[in-house]
Amino acid sequence: MNPTFLNRRAFLSNVGLSLGSAAISGLMARDIGAAVPTTTGLPHLAAKAKRVIFLCMAGGPSHLETFDYKPELERLHDQPMPEAFTKDQPIAQLQGQQLMAHRPMCSFDRYGQSGQEISSWLPYTAKLADDIAIVRSMVTEQINHDPAHTFMNTGSAISGRPSMGSWINYGLGSACEDLPGFVVLTSVGGRNPQPIASRQWSAGFLPSKYQGVEFNSAGDPVHYVRNPKGVSQSQQAALVKTIGKLDQHRNSRVANPEIETRIAAYEMAFRMQASVPELMDVSDEPQHILDLYGATPGDGSFASNCLLARRLAEKGVRFIHLYHRGWDHHGDLEKYMDICCGLTDRPTWALVTDLKQRGMLDDTLVIWGGEFGRTPMVQGKGTTAGRDHHIKGFSMWMAGGGIKGGITHGATDELGYHAVENTVHVRDLHATMLHQLGLQHDRFTFPFQGLDMKLTGVEKARVVKGILAS
Amino acid sequence: MSVSSSPHGPTGSRQSPVQKCRERDPHNQIVDRQSRFRLPAEIIRDSALAISGLLVREVGGRSARPYQPAGYFRHLNFPKRSYSHDTSKAQWRRGVYVHWQRMFLHPMMKAMDAPSREECTAERPRSNTPSAALTLLNDPTFIEAARAFASRILAEGGGTNHARLEFSFRQALGRSPDPTEQELLVELHDRSKEAFQADPHAARDLLSSGQSPLPKNADPVELAAWTTVARALFNLSESITRN
Repeated sequence: MNPTFLNRRAFLSNVGLSLGSAAISGLMARDIGAAVPTTTGLPHLAAKAKRVIFLCMAGGPSHLETFDYKPELERLHDQPMPEAFTKDQPIAQLQGQQLMAHRPMCSFDRYGQSGQEISSWLPYTAKLADDIAIVRSMVTEQINHDPAHTFMNTGSAISGRPSMGSWINYGLGSACEDLPGFVVLTSVGGRNPQPIASRQWSAGFLPSKYQGVEFNSAGDPVHYVRNPKGVSQSQQAALVKTIGKLDQHRNSRVANPEIETRIAAYEMAFRMQASVPELMDVSDEPQHILDLYGATPGDGSFASNCLLARRLAEKGVRFIHLYHRGWDHHGDLEKYMDICCGLTDRPTWALVTDLKQRGMLDDTLVIWGGEFGRTPMVQGKGTTAGRDHHIKGFSMWMAGGGIKGGITHGATDELGYHAVENTVHVRDLHATMLHQLGLQHDRFTFPFQGLDMKLTGVEKARVVKGILAS
Repeated sequence: MSVSSSPHGPTGSRQSPVQKCRERDPHNQIVDRQSRFRLPAEIIRDSALAISGLLVREVGGRSARPYQPAGYFRHLNFPKRSYSHDTSKAQWRRGVYVHWQRMFLHPMMKAMDAPSREECTAERPRSNTPSAALTLLNDPTFIEAARAFASRILAEGGGTNHARLEFSFRQALGRSPDPTEQELLVELHDRSKEAFQADPHAARDLLSSGQSPLPKNADPVELAAWTTVARALFNLSESITRN
């Protein structure tokens, strides 16, 4: 490269790449002479977790039928909800209707040495009772699916912000040479699945190389990952090599930093043409592992995706985001809980168990939950009872990656409406997740539109110390 | 300054105006030149189709449905949708007419940062990703365009490799190749031709991509080798960048 053209931006982008972390690009985005950026010296803390597997139960599973037993709802069954709970509260589809309480539609038992209370719909998760920290006091700010996902993923309901997987890859760099650091898998099966927009894994204002890449669980795992018909691997290799040389040659004249990035992108693309099909080909997994998950390779099920999540984790992918849709039970909740739990309960247990037996649970943070919970009030879509969207109190759980197992954190009121004890906001969840990865949420920023943007936003976020192992 | 220094002027053997400008303003702080932008998604499609000779320039009319990975719409709901690509000339219509499925826009458009049209987009991002590389390398639209371009190179580019390369560069990049570029592409052509000679079925497979007819009496091995060269040209940074 002609040194005349080695401007500051180009220089720093090269340095940033060679350091394996691009947080230094926070430097690039600032003007010469600006204040010292806050994102030097990452990670800030000793990391407990190296990666995250986020099991998103899209649609909003009912906390009242999974992890939050409310006997008081039995007593109030079929009676109007006390107005003290519901007055002036945001309501989704039940707006303008009479709000009637509805009893839990399943039984609960205590499991494990810790005696955690878990629904009869989750017999396999129940076996993990001593491994998971159940948070019963989650709250979010968005009551409809798409903005609630956006909020859960980016800390803001306004689209255009980076997804948490992008933030983490930006902060820690990729630990994997031939796969993207942020992979998304969406499973098939269930009821009336809501579409999940690809903007949910957007890099927002972070460099685009941190955006999530969706692997299709059926058909080609990545679009256009296969060579065209008639083109051998060696022909494709020769082509990519020639393109790289021609771009390099061009760059000796025009000195455009984008060309360097592009050459790297082509190299990664070519490596992915081999690594992605290899990753998705689970024929090297022994039968007992397939049986553990209940996975039939290539069926696009949550079970197959859980197995792929473990394989991705082994390869060093930082953030693995699984979506299972179909948890939006406005009516016929019992029927659809049978289906959703039937599809996800066992694979979830298998994933945690498999990570544990490989010694990977210690540095893998597993998070389970939906974008919100469901109302203590009944909704009557369909033929039997269901529940509406609910954001003032719901349950999630976390395991591994330095999280204390066998505990229940926080509580909702006696009707499961409001989180009333140790409330955990979505941004607290983000702060905790970042903390386990060695990132201090309030120091982890990226300059955009004149602001130091954070995953946790401008309001106070706190690490949920109560669920940490040490 | 931008005008008087004529940055777009020809480069001479002595120090050219372009070089003078570069020396005077190496970091473009006094804006002696325009910035190099990657082209928008629709234009990348249009330009490959135009170079190949396939582009349909008809104005208006119904949306076009290009080749799309099978099952891409399977996650859509309310209602469920199916997709079949156009089998008429509509296949090669301009990018602005490509069917726009909100949230699930065509993977090529998405890889090149076309907005999903869920909200107003004042400025598109310009990403530079492996997904975009895979699209330009392997999307059937670009493979078909490459083989159609190869047909043009053989029909219109003259009889020698040198003349054909000159023609293909002029068509794709609007300039002549320099000796280094000549050498690299001749080598790519020769290697590709050798491989297709050893496996003529592979050549026929490559040429079967897309629905446009093959020229009669064309040598499949030669056509496939030039298809490889055309693919290289479509994938150059220069081809998808405003220079």
